[in-house]
Amino acid sequence: MSTVENLSEGKKLGLLQGTLEVLILRGLKLEANHAYGISQFLKQQSGSEFLVDNGSLYPALQRLLQRGWIAAQWKSSPNGRRARYYKLTPAGRSQLVKATSQWERFVAAMARVLAPEG
Amino acid sequence: MRSMWSKIALLFGGRRRLADELDDEIDSHLEFLIERNLERGMSEEAAEAAARRELGNAALMRERSYESWQFRGFETLLQDIRYALRGFLRNPAFTVTAILTLALAIGATTAVFSVVDRILFRSLPYGDSDRLVSLGLVAPIEPQEFMLGGSYYVWQDNQRPFTALTSEIGAAPCDLTEDNPIRLNCARAESNFLPTLEVFPILGRNFSAEEDRPNGPKVALISYELWLSRFHMDQHVIGKLIHIDGHSTEVVGVLPKDFEMPRLQIADVLLPQALDTAAQRRADPGHPMWAFARLKPGVTIEQAKEELQPLFEYSLRLAPAPFRKEVHLEIRSLRDRQIHDARLAAWVLLGMVIAVLLTACANVASLLIARAASRERELAVRSALGASRMRLARQAFTEAIVLSFAGGVAGCLFGWLLLRLFLGIAPDGLPFLSKAQIDMRVLVFALAVTLACAIFFGMIPTMHRARGNVLAAHTRATLRNSAFRRYLVVVQIAVSMMLLVGGTLLARSFWNLQNQRLGMAVENIVTAEISLGQTSYPTAEKQMAFFQQFARNLRYGPGVSSVAISDSLPPGGYHHDQIFASLHVDGKPQSASGTGGTVTWRSVTPEYFQMLQIPIVQGEGFTEDELSSNNRFLVLSKSLAERIFPGESVLGKQLHLANGAPTENDPVYTVVGIAADVKNSGLASREEPEYYRLRRNRAQDWEHSSFVIVKTTLPPETIESWIRSQAAALDPTVPVETRTLAERVNRMADQPRFEMLLVEFFAGTGLVLAVIGLYGVVSYLVVQRTQEIGIRMAVGATRADILWLVLGSALRMIVPGTLIGLALAFALSRVLISLLFNVSPHDPATFACMSSILIFVALLAALMPAAAATRIDPNAALRVE
Repeated sequence: MSTVENLSEGKKLGLLQGTLEVLILRGLKLEANHAYGISQFLKQQSGSEFLVDNGSLYPALQRLLQRGWIAAQWKSSPNGRRARYYKLTPAGRSQLVKATSQWERFVAAMARVLAPEG
Repeated sequence: MRSMWSKIALLFGGRRRLADELDDEIDSHLEFLIERNLERGMSEEAAEAAARRELGNAALMRERSYESWQFRGFETLLQDIRYALRGFLRNPAFTVTAILTLALAIGATTAVFSVVDRILFRSLPYGDSDRLVSLGLVAPIEPQEFMLGGSYYVWQDNQRPFTALTSEIGAAPCDLTEDNPIRLNCARAESNFLPTLEVFPILGRNFSAEEDRPNGPKVALISYELWLSRFHMDQHVIGKLIHIDGHSTEVVGVLPKDFEMPRLQIADVLLPQALDTAAQRRADPGHPMWAFARLKPGVTIEQAKEELQPLFEYSLRLAPAPFRKEVHLEIRSLRDRQIHDARLAAWVLLGMVIAVLLTACANVASLLIARAASRERELAVRSALGASRMRLARQAFTEAIVLSFAGGVAGCLFGWLLLRLFLGIAPDGLPFLSKAQIDMRVLVFALAVTLACAIFFGMIPTMHRARGNVLAAHTRATLRNSAFRRYLVVVQIAVSMMLLVGGTLLARSFWNLQNQRLGMAVENIVTAEISLGQTSYPTAEKQMAFFQQFARNLRYGPGVSSVAISDSLPPGGYHHDQIFASLHVDGKPQSASGTGGTVTWRSVTPEYFQMLQIPIVQGEGFTEDELSSNNRFLVLSKSLAERIFPGESVLGKQLHLANGAPTENDPVYTVVGIAADVKNSGLASREEPEYYRLRRNRAQDWEHSSFVIVKTTLPPETIESWIRSQAAALDPTVPVETRTLAERVNRMADQPRFEMLLVEFFAGTGLVLAVIGLYGVVSYLVVQRTQEIGIRMAVGATRADILWLVLGSALRMIVPGTLIGLALAFALSRVLISLLFNVSPHDPATFACMSSILIFVALLAALMPAAAATRIDPNAALRVE
């Protein structure tokens, strides 16, 4: 039920919602990370263009967990602090591939449309 | 799928854990931020404050995360149900009315379905019963197919369309002659009978072909009921010796609980028929028997009929000449054979109860519409506050489902009670009814009906809610609602018109049946049916001695004015009959064209006519002198006399009763009188020509079972027990069944009476529901139009004007409803023809009477709200709002 509602909300909010989820998946592609680490990663990678609000980050993580795209586990961080680490599941990995190629098609199409004529 | 399971896990206590985990996670996040800030050289306090700022609103984070975990559908459903229940509790009058109406309708439908299910739909208790057929010959003398030993075995050897052909030779009373003897019914069948029907004994085995031979080993299968009542389900009953009619017989098997004979006779014991097949093949016509067969896969009944044609023609050549033109081959499914006359009654009953169900649903729908209209504002507000249309529709459906299921559960209970009631008032000997019960299958049916109601009700508010903005279109929506409700009332009135006409036709038919002229007097007559056991009374001499002694003992009893003995009693039930063509006047050749139909005959003592007040219209009837004569005497019924001797004098004529040349077996009878016609083949059928043989003081005129008829001046109850005590004094083992003749006649009307009662019940229910529906709608209209009525009164309308205004709106529903109902009743009553006795299905009196009654009752229902409308105070009405 919630999936359906998210889709409709996603429509309303444009790209933002779906985009955040893809970005999280991308952030977990190389290694497992905790929520703080993910927000730091997104900030750094985007050159501080994306400031991820924790109020959006946490629900997004919960949704990804529910869909089985990521899995969570409590572990100790390198500096000895306990944190909840998220990692990609195989389903999440294939979802990332799918979303990435969709995004690329979208960008290419946008570019073709927006490109100045001649 | 996975997320669904995790949600279900959460629903049962997982939420606590989730919340704790999220809190921990947020704490750890905060610590990361603080640590980083400290690394940047902030003070501890500043680091924490900055971290909290950066983290954002932790409560919101929690809230939103929970939301994504919520089991939305289910929780909304629970919420909807809670909401529906609250709404129903707030409005108990509506709720109770709706649930009672539904319970009444679903209960009645369930009870009737449980009865007709076995007749119309349920498979018979045999393996693969759709391929079982009943086959044989039909003749005027026996319109249900039968076979004769002379042809049966030839058919069995040469038939091709069946995998197996089997037979039974009927069921008859038999005695279990042991200590504590009881009278049972013993059926006799061929050894391949059970295998052909695919019935398997639950204990022991079927009898073998070796045991199904004359003078073979005596073996028996017993019914489940007998096993239960007599042997207390003892597993060791197999191999036990029981005494049936004095013969020591070995029990070899127990029949399944649901076993029934294909012709539905009662059978406590199944015995091998043990016919001498070689003798039967030579015999003409052979032993009467009833044949059943299993069609080969893919063979239809028509094909089987075609393939059996040569065998049928073979049998026809064996038949006596007068029969040949009137004998036909019949093959039909076993179900058709079993229910030939119950099918129509079952469909009529089912049709009526469905009509009642529709009327009830219309009432509840009407209630729901009225309720929806009064809740329009509430719904509009909810809608304005952001409830989606989907959400409101779901709410409406939930309410419909909750309501229907409450009605369904109450209906199942009511149905169970109703079925008890049916069984209580039903006459004995309706084989299908006694087996009716509320089981899983019937409950599934009730559930389906309930669901259908729920979907119908759920759609009503959705239908009109879908049409635009509620707040703006307030008035128009209301008008549309009341238009729909008016249509519903028209339909209800039409349906109850049909039910009333059907019910009245059956009632009139029943009245005719009960009040027809029987041609005899039934008052002050007590009858005792006595059947002597074959072992104690093996010879006709002994049987005659018993009956004559018994009659002598009774004759001088208290209040007894006379005693007669007969082998059967009018107006129906078992009696002898023969074909007309066999009767022929001495010295004249018998006619060879056709059988001429059947003739009833009885063997009676001289007092019979005087006791039953059957007038002897010519001659003297039987006299005492003739009792000891060597000659034989006859009294003819008026119709028979006119047929054999048209316009001639009859007295003293010599008549042969049987076929063939005058021999020892075809003695000559002298006609000594003509008796008036008596109803003699059941209450509903035309009377047959009849003759009476004199039962003389000679053994050859007697048989083992007879009716002893006693005319008395005492109350029947006293004389009945006295007769039984007299019989017991003579022989305590002889079973005696006493009944007054009036009672016997009355019992013949039991089945039509029962059918009529059921139909009246449904017609009455339908009428009440329709009247309630009409009352509800008219009252609602009056409330709706209060303001309008106020204005009319203010500008000078009189009370009479207002009365007519309201009654007029009621008439606009009543008249079309009645007309539609009349038309439908006219078209449909034709199906009742075979259930009706001396009433035309288009009986004008019934149609006229019922439409007036319906209009009258409906107007009466409308009168109450109309009268209320005239009492409206214009001032008060105009000040509303």
